[in-house]
Amino acid sequence: MSLLLPSNRIHPALPSHPEPPQQGGHAKVTGAARYAFDAALPGMLHAKVLRSPHPHARIRGIDTAKAAALPGVVAIVTGADARALALPTYGFTIQDQPVIAIDKVRHVGEAVVAVAARDERTALAALALVDVDYDPLPALPDPAAALAPGAPLLFEEPQPGFALPVGAGSTSRKEPAPNVLYEYTYTRGGVDAALDRADHVFTDSFAFSAINHYHLEPHVNVARFEDGRLELWSSNQDPFMLRADLSRIFGMPDTDIRVHTPLIGGGFGGKSYCKMEPLVALIAQKARRPVRLALTLDESILTLTKHAAELTLTTAVGADGRLLARRADIVLDGGAYCDASVMVALKTGFRIAGAYHWDALDVRSRVVRTTKVPAGSFRGFGGTQASYASECQMDMIAHRLGIDPYDLRVMNFLGPDEPFAPGDSAIDSDLKGGLDEVCTRLGYRAPKKAGHGFGLAVGIKDGGGTGNHAGAIVKVSQSGRITVLAATAEIGQGAGTTLCSIAADVLGLDAADARYGAIDTDVTPLNNGTHVSCGTVVTGSAVAEAAASVREEILAFAAEQLQCAPADLALEGWAVRRNGALHPLEPMVRGYYGGQGFAFTAYGHVKVPYDDGAPLRSQNLFWMPCWTGAEVSVDRETGRVTVHRLVVGSDAGRIISRRACEGQVAGAAIQAYGQAMFESLRYTPALQPENATPWTYRVAQAADLPEHFEVFVTEHMRGPGPGGLKGIGEAGMLSIAAAIGNAIEDATGVRVNAMPFSPEAVLAALDAADPA
Amino acid sequence: MTLTVSFTINGAPVSTAVHPETVLADVIRDEFQLVGCKVGCDQAVCGACTVLVDRIPMAACSTFAFEAEGRDIVTIEGLARPDGTLSAVQRAFLDVQGFQCGFCTGGLILLVTALLERDPDPDRATITDWLGSAVCRCTGYLAIIEAVETAARLNREVAA
Repeated sequence: MSLLLPSNRIHPALPSHPEPPQQGGHAKVTGAARYAFDAALPGMLHAKVLRSPHPHARIRGIDTAKAAALPGVVAIVTGADARALALPTYGFTIQDQPVIAIDKVRHVGEAVVAVAARDERTALAALALVDVDYDPLPALPDPAAALAPGAPLLFEEPQPGFALPVGAGSTSRKEPAPNVLYEYTYTRGGVDAALDRADHVFTDSFAFSAINHYHLEPHVNVARFEDGRLELWSSNQDPFMLRADLSRIFGMPDTDIRVHTPLIGGGFGGKSYCKMEPLVALIAQKARRPVRLALTLDESILTLTKHAAELTLTTAVGADGRLLARRADIVLDGGAYCDASVMVALKTGFRIAGAYHWDALDVRSRVVRTTKVPAGSFRGFGGTQASYASECQMDMIAHRLGIDPYDLRVMNFLGPDEPFAPGDSAIDSDLKGGLDEVCTRLGYRAPKKAGHGFGLAVGIKDGGGTGNHAGAIVKVSQSGRITVLAATAEIGQGAGTTLCSIAADVLGLDAADARYGAIDTDVTPLNNGTHVSCGTVVTGSAVAEAAASVREEILAFAAEQLQCAPADLALEGWAVRRNGALHPLEPMVRGYYGGQGFAFTAYGHVKVPYDDGAPLRSQNLFWMPCWTGAEVSVDRETGRVTVHRLVVGSDAGRIISRRACEGQVAGAAIQAYGQAMFESLRYTPALQPENATPWTYRVAQAADLPEHFEVFVTEHMRGPGPGGLKGIGEAGMLSIAAAIGNAIEDATGVRVNAMPFSPEAVLAALDAADPA
Repeated sequence: MTLTVSFTINGAPVSTAVHPETVLADVIRDEFQLVGCKVGCDQAVCGACTVLVDRIPMAACSTFAFEAEGRDIVTIEGLARPDGTLSAVQRAFLDVQGFQCGFCTGGLILLVTALLERDPDPDRATITDWLGSAVCRCTGYLAIIEAVETAARLNREVAA
């Protein structure tokens, strides 16, 4: 095992990596790719779920008698079954979400009754026969209502769990006040003194919207209880986290739980952390038959959202534009249950500093419980909220001081090698270099067309996770073919391609012959899950370590066969060279092991160490920048914004597959662009989701793209992964909305402080600025 | 009540008994195990379940099975030649990585196949208009548009 640390050096430039062969690409274009959605077992039942129509209500009674009498119905599960579990709730560090509603519902769409039947048609017919008697309670529509004195409580008692430990300058508190799920603070320097001394102090508030992940494969699980073991085929991207949750919930040893993770049909955070997997297992346990529960997209929309947020930034600036200090008050709308809210609050608070120097910071980030769909992980969580507020305020400050927004950023940027915070790792990208690239591509210095505006924004987030670790196994067969086993799920990012390519590079073997093994918690080495863009760096480093060990094993074997020292040999393709003579390995292996051959096998493991001196209790592994430039025009009659050009760039450290890297940035950027321009999950005043259907929830389609949309990926060679690699999956989300908002202000002189920048919102802002 | 429908699927004539409310996607997936037909939104928005019905792209999730009577159905499994040679559209999607998670890819390839049968050299506006019956949440569409243009070029090279 080795420790994985942030890189503090520039790696030597490697020859440009050829585009590696795609793992699984052929299956995806021929229909042969298999997802959890396609998992099927003999005798499998199909489950459907009855969901709460109320945002907040007490359940007085549930009558399932008529449903149970319907032919073909095998099992019905309610909160009474959940109550009998070892732990009836789940959630990351705070376990407040019941496997299925117990006594109360806290958002529209919460699961109340589940039926397993011979087919979905029968299960749906049975649900129509269930009677639930609700006693509606007052709803909590937003954090302001939930924080008001005397507001009704979502939970009467403290919930199980703990406050995540944090490091220097930070505090972490679980349920510190009524309806407050969690609070994170970070303090350094003296903010009050800095605010008193500063030439300028600006306070601005920013509203950030909630959106849904809209992964095309809905949440889907197949569960089987057999011979005392629970086996699950899941679209969840965290097989081992899921196994640990199921172990706590069912009171079973984790080794009696086996999770299979086939291909995942998109996630973007929506399939991370525990969701309805325990419910499917509970139904299967009660039915004594395998059970499949595939949600519809409507149900997925009611399962998780991104956090809406209100962020108030008070920023002290010197007369010359130098940033001095910032106080941030962040309020995240967590919805009804924790899910990953603790992590999101912590990361929003940590990331609100942006990519700049500060003398002092004072940050408070809270998650407030409301009676809405639970909010959780969404690609770059916390980073998108923080980058939006921080990068909008940068432009507002620049305009007030009469400084070009480019110049204000560049004079305040953290340079390469400067730590993000005391005790934390150094920035490992050339921030100015990336912004200059955007300006060149955008034509930022060229004369603007009449009525057009330019906007810049630079998002940054930590990547690779906090104290993460990962294991990997690399096997090389007698014919020199590689198999890589690791628990980073293939969710569209090309994990298998990248990890196989890393192993093949170390071994000098052909990546086209490498295979990424199926994920099965019985045999696949453990990692922390498919998160925070950590697959390439953390799991990739474990793969590189395993590949290096396997290489030694191969050379030791060959040395023994050739009766020489391993140091006398060099691996060259699937042969060893000794004193100029090439000895093929396959006959050597078969000669020794016999006709069945052999697999050289090694394990690699890396751990990012904890460090109490760093704000998040681990020095951040690498930094993910997002450089964005937008050119827009605004129709002052209708409020319609046209994005003429959108340029988005990030730094992969080193590129293994340029197409995969650019695809990650482009895909993330268009998700963020949709959120900026038109996409949001809306509620009626009675807290009914207003557009929670595929027909009414609008996501970006091809015709929505900006007139000119351009993506670039740089190689600054400073990452901690093999050859200077960094992760890139979340980067493209970070600063799109801020760049567009800044461009709108540049074009109109008006700041639109409502997302999305719909014609209504823009027109309202224009009218408010110029009532005539 | 069930009724019998007869149609061809990927060139093979078949008959099967279905309920009147059964949708084509369920027949294709459950009866014929052609699970390359993915059901995403289940409401004819996302296009993941797109199949060709008499060469017209249709959302199989929202097409009744009885509507297939006498028709010719092509699924993603039926596009490559029997020897495994990929169609130009499949080749193009593979070469330019016009996919990430792949859940929408089969439907998209069939949709684009139908587009190029009608318009072998579509301009950018025609492509984005046609892609309006599909959603890809992963790629940001740039690679998909490149795949369509690449497939059109491959077709022209074969024709030339």
